[in-house]
Amino acid sequence: MATITEGPRPMAMADYKGRVDPDWCPGCGDYGVLAAVQKALVELQIPNHQVVTISGIGCSSNFPGFIETYGMHTLHGRALPVATGVKMANHELTVLVTGGDGDGFGIGGNHFAHAMRRNVDLTYIVMDNQIYGLTTGQTSPTSQIGMKTKSTPFGNVEGPIHPIASALACGATFVARGFSADQKHLSGLIRQAIEHKGFSFIDVFSPCVTYNKDNTFQWFRPRVKKLEDDPAYDSGDWLAAMEKSILWGEEIPIGKFFERTDLPSLDEAEPVLKDGPMVGRPDHIDPAIARAFIEELM
Amino acid sequence: MSRQLIKGNEAIVKAAVLAGCRGFYGYPITPASEITEAAAAYLPRVGGTFLQAESEVAAINMLYGAASAGVRVMTASSGPGISLMQEGISYMAGAELPCVVADITRAGPGLGNITSEQSDYHQVVKGGGHGNYRTLVLAPHSVQEMADLTALAFELADRYRNPVVLMTDGFIGQMMEPVEFPQAAVGPRLPKWAVAGTEETRGNLISSIYLNSDELEAHVRQLEAKYEIARQRETRAEELYMEDADVVLVGYGIVARILKAVAAEARAEGLRVGVLRPITLFPFPTLHFKKAAKRAKVFIVVEMSNGQLLEDVRLALNGARPVEFLSRVGGNVPSHEEVLAFVQAQARCCAESEQVAHV
Ligand SMILES: Cc1ncc(C[n+]2csc(CCOP(=O)(O)OP(=O)(O)O)c2C)c(N)n1
Ligand code: SF4
Repeated sequence: MATITEGPRPMAMADYKGRVDPDWCPGCGDYGVLAAVQKALVELQIPNHQVVTISGIGCSSNFPGFIETYGMHTLHGRALPVATGVKMANHELTVLVTGGDGDGFGIGGNHFAHAMRRNVDLTYIVMDNQIYGLTTGQTSPTSQIGMKTKSTPFGNVEGPIHPIASALACGATFVARGFSADQKHLSGLIRQAIEHKGFSFIDVFSPCVTYNKDNTFQWFRPRVKKLEDDPAYDSGDWLAAMEKSILWGEEIPIGKFFERTDLPSLDEAEPVLKDGPMVGRPDHIDPAIARAFIEELM
Repeated sequence: MSRQLIKGNEAIVKAAVLAGCRGFYGYPITPASEITEAAAAYLPRVGGTFLQAESEVAAINMLYGAASAGVRVMTASSGPGISLMQEGISYMAGAELPCVVADITRAGPGLGNITSEQSDYHQVVKGGGHGNYRTLVLAPHSVQEMADLTALAFELADRYRNPVVLMTDGFIGQMMEPVEFPQAAVGPRLPKWAVAGTEETRGNLISSIYLNSDELEAHVRQLEAKYEIARQRETRAEELYMEDADVVLVGYGIVARILKAVAAEARAEGLRVGVLRPITLFPFPTLHFKKAAKRAKVFIVVEMSNGQLLEDVRLALNGARPVEFLSRVGGNVPSHEEVLAFVQAQARCCAESEQVAHV
């Protein structure tokens, strides 16, 4: 249990309950992810006003409305650049980015690569349901080959992206996978991800009960195997993580694939931010510095 | 082919296939997703290719590529997606490549909501991208027109080597009506300018880059000359009860259907009300307005946006007649009663000013 209890009383689950009730379909995997995030925040006892939840567009991207933190519901696919901006302005905030596989790996795919390369210090949680939920069931970049959806009526012929392998290849410094039905395990991962300094990526199997009839809770349950159950697995070993990342089928690993802590995050690497966040600094320039600067230009 | 009951969005795809479209690359968005879904189902059947792109930025650039190779191509989207495509549309206009883009509009700004608005008018009709270019814009108001104007859009896109936008609201996209499709299909054929991968087309270069200022100016002038020809030849509008109309109702898309019903009722009350419905939004049917202004006393623009069509009507009339304005936004639709009351008030106003004139 965390010991920092500066407030009058410790934060509880109810303190992170959003002002709007989720409007996800009954049984949607995203409920489990929401609860796991709230649980992790309770465990870490981070005050609401120090957290910003940022999303793009999609069922899963409605997340910021359902949690009592600062929230931004931004453009489809653009949550990561927005979050990068927030971090540049005030890197003392805990930034959570939430969204779907279409939002993150499709329309936002290039941002996904570059935010990881930059090692922006945030936690990116993708509710991966291998389908476009909000637009009522078209194929997604993580849909399996052969899957029939509204936009692949004859079966999907394109291979899926491998989110875990991509994250590893792009330089994410914390890479994990969770399952919405195993909330305890998932909230543990989210907690570690928030504590990690640098880009943390968690791909969460969060089944869409309405439009994905292939990758259901029942389909995942017997397949997911926790990496933590293998004492020999070393999450500091990038190559071992890569090998595990491409396993798919009868056995699908979940858990922490990889973490490294020896690289500076973007705000740590940026000299300008050494003295603290941009916000809260005096908004005028010291007259002596200003004069020197102007003279230099002349 | 006999008449079939079909959704507006689906009619577009069937008509596109019949018009020779063989490439569709798109990204789902409400209320245009059925177009993408229908394209996924129909195009492979005629040997066409369909891809669900990773974004609208990708989709429009896929069109750019396939159009360069001489394939008739199309995509479809709505507000936010159309915004994302603007850069690609500008490039295609600059490189003089034909394509058809369907915009089934929704409400904004920002994410807004998925109900119908007509607020894409400015970005589509005026050109939301950079540079001196125009897109030809067709505005269907029925499912039959979704089919007919799609066919026309492909024809115009090829004739003018320019992107053509089919713009209508979510109502027309989602409603079902009987449609008669053309009897004959247009077969794919290779334009002379295409980079087709053959010995003969090796010299063809598709580009919008003109590093020399004089060359770019000449290019822009040539594009303008093309748009001028379109202004002279392609304007289309529908006129209803216009022979003796004192009050002229102006609107497009779903609004035009409300206006037609209101005009019929006003006529039954003895009011001389007509409807002028632009079918091409660019080129704008300016001459139709000039002609109507000779007799009409007042024009009433009704739109589900904040005065975007209104600007073009005012430009066309150039101050010749007063223009009144009724607008609903946010996904609200002007009701029959609301429009009728507005029209009755204006008609009364006209009659009174006539009496004053006689005194
Ligand atoms: C520019 C743009 N294009 C398309 C859309 C429509 N749209 C909204 S959410 C979405 C995809 C949803 O899938 P995903 O991101 O996987 O989230 P899910 O709904 O499955 O949680 C699409 C295509 C949009 N809002 N903006
Ligand atoms: S459509 Fe699918 S992803 Fe969206 S709320 Fe329903 S179950 Fe969840």
